[in-house]
Amino acid sequence: MAKSDDCVHILQGLLVFGNVVIGMCGIALTAECIYFVSNPHGVYPLLKATENNDIYAAAWIGIFVGLALFALSILGIIGVIKASRTLLLVYIILMLITFAFEMASCITAATHRDSLTPSLFLKQMLERYQKSEPANDSDNEVTKTWDELMLQNHCCGVLGPSDWQEYTSAFRLTHKDADYPWPRKCCVLDAQGLPVNLDGCKLGVPGYYNSNGCYDAISGPVNTHAWGVAWFGFAILCWTFCVLLGTMFYWSGIEY
Amino acid sequence: ELGYRPVLTQTPSLEGLTTASTFVLDQPRCVFGGYDNADIWLVVALDKAISTFNNTARPGTPETAFQGFPDPVPAYMTLNATLANYPCPKPAGDITVLRVGSETSCAQDEARPTCNGPLPGPGPYRVKFLALEGSEPVAETAWSAPITLRTAKSPSSISTTDSGHSAGMIAITTILSILFAILLAGLVAML
Repeated sequence: MAKSDDCVHILQGLLVFGNVVIGMCGIALTAECIYFVSNPHGVYPLLKATENNDIYAAAWIGIFVGLALFALSILGIIGVIKASRTLLLVYIILMLITFAFEMASCITAATHRDSLTPSLFLKQMLERYQKSEPANDSDNEVTKTWDELMLQNHCCGVLGPSDWQEYTSAFRLTHKDADYPWPRKCCVLDAQGLPVNLDGCKLGVPGYYNSNGCYDAISGPVNTHAWGVAWFGFAILCWTFCVLLGTMFYWSGIEY
Repeated sequence: ELGYRPVLTQTPSLEGLTTASTFVLDQPRCVFGGYDNADIWLVVALDKAISTFNNTARPGTPETAFQGFPDPVPAYMTLNATLANYPCPKPAGDITVLRVGSETSCAQDEARPTCNGPLPGPGPYRVKFLALEGSEPVAETAWSAPITLRTAKSPSSISTTDSGHSAGMIAITTILSILFAILLAGLVAML
């Protein structure tokens, strides 16, 4: 009997420890998701213009799931210590629901991240950058975002300046090819914002224009956001899985 | 006829070597030796029309005006220069190019028939240099190889639906689904 008692105590100890970790991770998940939602990175207007906000939906779900995990972990600790069947049953069922929501959030973040390919941004840039009759505010936002992006990261286009040559664009409708093979922001600019050597830029002489594409600068923050939500959530769920299995085992061993 | 053949600039490598309406040639340095008094003109023609051009054509006339190219003018003359513009030998490190198609301001101006205006289509084009003293042709280079310009595709041809699924997303989905299924099975077994 003593040995069985020891086993029960060890299991209780493990479950309490597991729940403490879940509670802390829940708080961390909430904090991380609040950071992502309230601190949108510079390329947020481009994501908004794709009319697919799933990455942000995933972060919002993460906030609430984190709080739920914290609350449920407290319930779990109380249930394990008091060895109460009802409390633990409620705990298990609510945890399963939370598990399902967090699973949805992780998969949504990962899937949406996969859909943000260079082609998507290329098409959006060609159709909206410097559109002469902006249909709505998001077109102006797209233009401003691209200008800032190209200025700060010293890049041009999505894959390179040749994007502007290989495809027709809204920009090309108002700017002749001979004068503007690519936008002026692709040129190396001096302190006043004027091209250092305009002819060199138009010819494409190395050193007077930005030859690399901006896709890396865009995908960097987006990747951090998406994988931050998806992988951290995945780690929490793996740990929660173990704790829940342990709880189910403990529950079935409690005598009425 | 001189043996030189006009060629697109190879060094340095230029991103804008050919665009939709311009292209970049090497300047004819150390080619027209001895023709100090001649005007050196660039003749631009469609590949299929080079046989219709003869050297008695005079620049600045409606028959060689840029504004009439390509129909009815089969070849136009532009980029007037003298030997002083193309000193020999070429200083090392200098970029010596001619950008054909760079003047957009005079493209519609009939009063400027020697305008170096943007080319109207993807070509292919062939060019040669012609040296005239007075109105007499004294030297010419060979015709260049055909130069084809870039054609731009429409952005609607970019397919955005073809995104594959990354390994990470597939791993997350399968593993989480399996874990959730195990938990549900455990719940059912428990009750």
